[in-house]
Amino acid sequence: MEVGTTPKTKPNFKPASTPKLIFPDRRFMRRYIVRRLIQLIPLLIGISLITFFVMHMAPGDPTSLFTDPNIKPEELARIRVNWGLDKPVIVQYFIWLKNAAVLNFGYSYISGKPVIEEIFERLPATLLLMTVSFFLILLISIPVGVISAVRKGSLFDNLFTVLSFVFMSIPSFWLALIFMMVFSLKLEWFPPFGNIILPCAVMVISGLAGITRYQRASMLEVLGQEYIKVARAKGLPENIVIFKHALRNSLIPIVTLLGLSLPDLFGGAFIIETIFAWPGMGRLGVSAVFSRNYPVIMGITVLTALLIVIGNLLADIGYAIVDPRIRYAEKK
Amino acid sequence: MIKILLRSILIILSAASFVFALDHDPNGRLIMSLGGEISVINPILSTDTTSSAIEGVIFTGLVKVDKNLNFIPDLAKSWTISKSGRVWTFKLRRDVTWHDGEPFTAEDVKFTFDTILNKKVNSVRRGDYIIDGEPIVFKVVDRHTIKAILPKPFSPFLTSASMGILPKHILEGKELDMSDFNRRPVGTGPFKFVQYKAGDHVLVKRDPDHYGGAPKLKEILFKIIPDENTALVALRSGDIDETGIPPKDFHPIKHVNLYEYDALLYTYLGFNLKSPKFSDVRVRQALSYAVNRKQLIGLVLRGLATPAYSPCSPVSWAYSDDVFKYEYDPKKAKALLKEAGVKKLEFTVLVNHGSKEREKAATILQQQFEKIGVKMNIRVLEWSALLKVINARKTPKDFDAVIIGWSTGVDPDSYSIWHSSQYPAGLNFIGYDNPKVDRLLDAGRREQYKSDRKEIYAAMYKEITKDAPYVFLWYPKVLAGVRDRVGGLSEPGPTGLFLNIEEVYIKK
Repeated sequence: MEVGTTPKTKPNFKPASTPKLIFPDRRFMRRYIVRRLIQLIPLLIGISLITFFVMHMAPGDPTSLFTDPNIKPEELARIRVNWGLDKPVIVQYFIWLKNAAVLNFGYSYISGKPVIEEIFERLPATLLLMTVSFFLILLISIPVGVISAVRKGSLFDNLFTVLSFVFMSIPSFWLALIFMMVFSLKLEWFPPFGNIILPCAVMVISGLAGITRYQRASMLEVLGQEYIKVARAKGLPENIVIFKHALRNSLIPIVTLLGLSLPDLFGGAFIIETIFAWPGMGRLGVSAVFSRNYPVIMGITVLTALLIVIGNLLADIGYAIVDPRIRYAEKK
Repeated sequence: MIKILLRSILIILSAASFVFALDHDPNGRLIMSLGGEISVINPILSTDTTSSAIEGVIFTGLVKVDKNLNFIPDLAKSWTISKSGRVWTFKLRRDVTWHDGEPFTAEDVKFTFDTILNKKVNSVRRGDYIIDGEPIVFKVVDRHTIKAILPKPFSPFLTSASMGILPKHILEGKELDMSDFNRRPVGTGPFKFVQYKAGDHVLVKRDPDHYGGAPKLKEILFKIIPDENTALVALRSGDIDETGIPPKDFHPIKHVNLYEYDALLYTYLGFNLKSPKFSDVRVRQALSYAVNRKQLIGLVLRGLATPAYSPCSPVSWAYSDDVFKYEYDPKKAKALLKEAGVKKLEFTVLVNHGSKEREKAATILQQQFEKIGVKMNIRVLEWSALLKVINARKTPKDFDAVIIGWSTGVDPDSYSIWHSSQYPAGLNFIGYDNPKVDRLLDAGRREQYKSDRKEIYAAMYKEITKDAPYVFLWYPKVLAGVRDRVGGLSEPGPTGLFLNIEEVYIKK
C-alpha cells in the first residue's frame, strides 16, 4: 500500500489506513527540535523578566508578613538589605538572571532551602496525584467519547452528555468537601488526608467532561469523513472501521491535548491539595505568592514556562508521528 | 526475715508500678494539627505560630512560663538581678544534654544570643536584645553561669530570656539562614526530631534523657492541614487528636472534649489619628459609644468572646478594670458628634481578606454606625497589601480606619504599639502621641517589681482609653477540641492546653 508523502489539498482517501506509525525523517526532526529548543532561551528570558517585574509590583514585600508587634522596623529593613531588596528592581533581575543561567535559583525566603530542593521535594506528590488522575481520565473519557459519537443520539450519548455538563459545572472544592463528608465522615471508608483515592476521584470527575467532549467531537468529525464511507462501502466490518481506522485518527487532537497538559501535571491543583492536605506544588506556588517568596515564585515560573514549551514541542512531534500528512516543511 | 521483707516490698512495688503503668499507653502517639506551612524549625529565625508549635517541644530556653504567665526556671535553675537592675546572672542546670548527647553549657547560651545579634543573620528577634540602640552583652562566667549585661534596666528582658537555645557545637561557623539544621534540628527539649516531610508533617519522639523527666508520650506527629473543614472532619474521625474550632462549628462532638478559654488577644477598630476626620477625641468616643459589642459578638462569634474596653487582656496580670468604658449608648454618641460639630461623617475601613469574622464584624459595625448617622465603607484587602498600607513610612498614612487584632506577648510592655517614637515606622501605625503615655511606657520598662509595674500600666490604660484611639471590640476565646483518648492536658488558659507537654499521654 503506497504511503503518500506530499500533502494533497483535499485527500479523498486516507493513506494511513495501515496501522504503522510513519516516523518523519530523523535528520530533519533533529534540526527541528534543536531549533525549537534554542527558541526556548529568549522565551524564558522574556517570561522571567515580565514575571519578575510584575512580582515586584505587587504591594508589600517578603518582610511585611512579619507582623509580630514586638518586631522592630529596623530589623525588617536590615533583612531586606540582606536579601538584596534595596537594590533597584532591574539590578535585582540581572543578579537573578546571572544565577539562574548556571541553574542557581537561590534560596527560599521562608525556609532557607535551595529553591530547586524546595520544588523537587514537592514534585513527587503532585506528579503522583496528577498522573494517576490523568490516566484515569483518559481511560474513562476516550471510550465514553467514542461510544457517544458512534451511538450519537442514543440514551448512552444523552446520558453522558448531561453528566458531562453536570461534572463541568460542579465546583471542585464543593465536590471535595462533599466527598470528605460522605466518605470520610459518614461512611469512614477513607481518611480525610493521606490517601490518594479521594483527591484523585475529585480530580477525575472534575476533569472528565473536557476530554470526553473533545473525543466525542473529534470522533464525530472523523466518522463523517469520506474515507470512512469508502471503508464501509468496501464491506469492512463495523468494528474494524471504528477501531482500526476512525479511532486512531480521532486521537490526533487528544495527543495535542496531552502535550499541552504537561504543565498541569507538574503544577498541581491548589484547591484539592489544600482540602485534602496533599503536600503538592499547587500549595507551594500559591503560598509563595502570598508570602512574596520571590525566589520560589521565579523558580516555579521558569519550571512552568519550560514545561509549556516542552509540552508544546512534544505535542507537535507526536502530531507529526501520528499523522503522516503533517510535515514541517523546511524552506529550501 | 529480711529476705521475706525485701521480697514483699519487691512484690508490692512491682504490683504498684504495674497499676500505675496501666493508665497510659507508653507507645502513645499524639497527632496535632498545624494550620499552615512550616517556615523553619529554629526559634531565632521563625515568626509563624506553626513553626513555634514544633519548636516548643524540641527546644527549651533559660526560663519558661507557667499557667499563670509567671516565668519559672527551665535551663536556668535560678537567676538574680543586680541592684542597678542592669546585670542579670543566670545559674544553669548541670544535668542537661543536647539530643545528640553533647553536654549543654553557658557557651551555647552566649552563642545563641550572639547569633541573634549578628546583623548578617536574618533574625527579626534582634531588636528584642537591643535597648535604645545598645545591644545586650552576654558573658560566660563559667560552664554553668552566664551574665546578661543590659545597657539600662529593662523588665521585659525575661521574655527575651525564654528564647530557645541553639547548640554551639553544631552551628558554630555555619550560615544559619540556609542551614540544614533548620530542617533537622537538635535541641534540649522533651522531644527529639525524627522526620520532616516538606508540606506534610513533622515527627518527633520522646527524649528519655530529658532533664525534666522523660515525657509520657512516645511520639508526636504534627500534621499540616491547611483547610479548617478538613481538620474538623479529621478530628471527628480520630485521624488527628486536636485542632482549633471556628465558632460556627463549636458544638458537641462524639469522643471529643471541647475547650473554651481566654488568651492574650484582642480585636479592635483603629483610627488614623493623623486624619482630620478623627482628630477630635469626641468623634472617636462617639464611635466607641455607637458600638453594641454584645450584638456584635453574638452575631459574629456566636457569643464566644468577651467585650473589650481596654488594650490589655483580662488574663494578663497587668489588667485593670479602671478604664474609660464606652458602653453602648447611641444617644450619647449622637450628642458627642453634635458637640464636635460633625454633621456628616463618612470614612472607609480596611479589613483583611481571609478573616471571615472581621469581614462580618465590619458589616455589622457599618449598620451600627449608620444608626448614629455615620457612613462607613468597607474595603477588603489582601493581607500583605493591607500591611503595606498601614506600615508605609509616610505621614499621613493612606487609610481612615482598620479592623485588625493584636496578639500580645506575655509581658504587658506594649511600647511598640503606643509609644510616639514608633510612628510612622513601627507598630504605632495609628500615630498615637501622648507624652504621659510615653513616660509611663518608659517607666514600665524600667521598674523591676510587678506591683510597681501593675500600677504604672493601670494608669497607662486609663489614659489611653480616655483618648479612645481604638474602638476596642472583643477578646476572642480560643476554641479547641481534643479527643478524649488524650489525658494530662494543662488547665485551659492563655498558655494553651499543651503547656506541660511531658505530662500529656494517650489513655489505654
